[in-house]
Amino acid sequence: MNKDVRQQKIDVRYAIAELLSNEKTSKIATPILSILLTLITTAILLLILGSNPITAILGFLRAGGFIPKPSYASNNNMFTDFLLFLGIMAPMLFASLGFIISHKAGLFNIGISGEMLISGFIATLLVGYSDLGPWLAKPLVLLIGMVVGGIVGAITGFLKYKFNIHEVITSIMFNYIINYVTGFFINSYYTNPFTRSSMPASAASRLTITGLKLNGINISIPLSIFIAIAVAFLVNFLLERTVVGLEIKATGLNQDCARYAGINVSKNIIKAMTLSGVLAGLAGVSYYLGYYNTIVPKKLPDIGYDSIAVSILGNSSPLGAIFASALVTIFQNGSTYVSSSTGIAKEVASLITGLLLLFSACNTYIKYRAGKYVREYLDLKNAAVVKTQAASEGGQNINGFGVH
Amino acid sequence: MDLVFIDGLSFALILLIMAVAAIYSEKSGVVNLAIEGLQGFGAFIGALTAILITHYTNDSSSSWIMYVALLAAMVGGMVYSMLHAVLCVKFQSNQVISGVVINILSVALTGFLTSVINQAITGQASNKFMVGVSPRFDVPYLKDIPVIGALFKSMYPFEIIILVIVFIAWYVLYKTSFGMHLRACGENPHAVDAAGGNVNKTRFIAVMVSGALSGLGGMCVAYSISAQFSPTIYMGYGYLAIAAMIFGNWRIIPTTLACFFFGFARSGGYKLCLVLGLSSNVSELLMMLPYVLTLLLLVFFSKNTHAPAAGGQPFDKGRR
Repeated sequence: MNKDVRQQKIDVRYAIAELLSNEKTSKIATPILSILLTLITTAILLLILGSNPITAILGFLRAGGFIPKPSYASNNNMFTDFLLFLGIMAPMLFASLGFIISHKAGLFNIGISGEMLISGFIATLLVGYSDLGPWLAKPLVLLIGMVVGGIVGAITGFLKYKFNIHEVITSIMFNYIINYVTGFFINSYYTNPFTRSSMPASAASRLTITGLKLNGINISIPLSIFIAIAVAFLVNFLLERTVVGLEIKATGLNQDCARYAGINVSKNIIKAMTLSGVLAGLAGVSYYLGYYNTIVPKKLPDIGYDSIAVSILGNSSPLGAIFASALVTIFQNGSTYVSSSTGIAKEVASLITGLLLLFSACNTYIKYRAGKYVREYLDLKNAAVVKTQAASEGGQNINGFGVH
Repeated sequence: MDLVFIDGLSFALILLIMAVAAIYSEKSGVVNLAIEGLQGFGAFIGALTAILITHYTNDSSSSWIMYVALLAAMVGGMVYSMLHAVLCVKFQSNQVISGVVINILSVALTGFLTSVINQAITGQASNKFMVGVSPRFDVPYLKDIPVIGALFKSMYPFEIIILVIVFIAWYVLYKTSFGMHLRACGENPHAVDAAGGNVNKTRFIAVMVSGALSGLGGMCVAYSISAQFSPTIYMGYGYLAIAAMIFGNWRIIPTTLACFFFGFARSGGYKLCLVLGLSSNVSELLMMLPYVLTLLLLVFFSKNTHAPAAGGQPFDKGRR
């Protein structure tokens, strides 16, 4: 009986290891494991601090409009919250798609925050403060965001290829420079004396349509989320089905090999960083001219860093990023509500994101260990089968010998 | 004019200790972009120690608290850096990713813990630990030298500590067999392995040294430039230190010169703002000068640098 339980345990362990190491299932199983580990760690931490982790999780879901809150402000309901959630998820998705493209080329675009800020700022300046109509303003905002982000990305890629400067250093420097430059201009020329952030952009230029009513309920329609999901499929197509994607991926996997195969590595480095910047620019305009309509000076958006967690959690797959960005946004979006309703420090959201990133970074190792376990298990099993076969054959021989 | 030297020297030395931290890790073959996170975490532990001692002894004036805090920061940075070491050496993860993970987690973890601990100790939600500015002292006789005498005026005690540690670090790295092993691990780990050395152990130790030195650097920032521990400690000085290391071609003495250049450029820039009487907005804009300078210098110096040959690659015995 005891032996059966032990055997069962080993079988379960084998099944889990198989799920984690198998090429097909590991893409889904390892992120789920990362999420579970994160939730367990956070729960333990919250329990130590004397808070109830279940209420915290429910709070995050309530804030995102997935389950109803106990009470709502007048004319708001769950749907209002959910649309707001989609509005903030859009820049997160754009940003992580941007990170994925650079990551596929073996590059690390940590400058997404800066690219978001500068593209949001310039789009606000050129379109947000103009009196263009919505049909002209909205596409123009998207275009400016893409161009500005793309230029910054291209410079980073150029410096990498021409002067061999590590892209992480370049993009961090750009982050600080952009932060100070935009802060200077907003503080000097475009500041709103009451809120101390920049003056609000026109409603026509915003990518989120606000102030609508549905059956008396306040709603806002985030156009950006539809674009973002479409772009996710587009990026997936680009990476999986086109020559451009193949070249970028080959550059990322092995530069020497790619060069040998006739791929222009330096061109692809610049290409990947530019595309990454373009997507970061889209993230910027959907953040500063969508979810918000002002820019807080001298503050880089956290989304640029959170997107790294999203991409790595989603196994650098554009479609995986849709789910991963939804998950990370649930935590980031809900932090204020959770902290006001349960008293847990607001920073818990960043902590969860950080832990997600940490456990996702261990993915390769987890997969490797699981694979090793599976191999050892199968070896043992085969050995046992051989042994029993040998034993039974041996028994027959003895029998046969007895007959003789 | 004196102020340019005084501030420049203290900033240069803070950068230097972080740059030496980066050199130790990178020379052993582990790319360390985590300096920023390590210094922040070290400063967090140091500031927490200082706050707790002050809270329980009601004694905020004694100078020994500062030395305990500096030591605690080193221990904190070292312990936290073990995470980077485990990820890079044991788990063989991508070292750049690991570095960024360490940085992001550090910002999140210290931010969260600071508000939780402040809530517990003082009952107020605040994301700051006030530690104050370290006392200063003058070096007798040397301070009377014209012009460069300013370098020896109103020094922070930690500047002396940093100088001593950097000298020891230089000695260990270039004059001892351990340092030789460490550098060999970054250039040709298989040779070290064949000679009977333990590559992974050496790299692990190197990353821990890196963590301890970064932690010290972070606490020095908390005791001088920011006078507190708060999220503003993540000002990017860790990255500037890495840039200084690249100018210095991964060697300690040229890196020292690069750090001095950064330090005096920064304090000189501030002085210039004051002299020209610029508005606060414009002087804020000049805060970006070190970063612009870094980029420009990298453009000129990056091409001829020699990074450790095995940097960024996890050690795999089976691969030759």
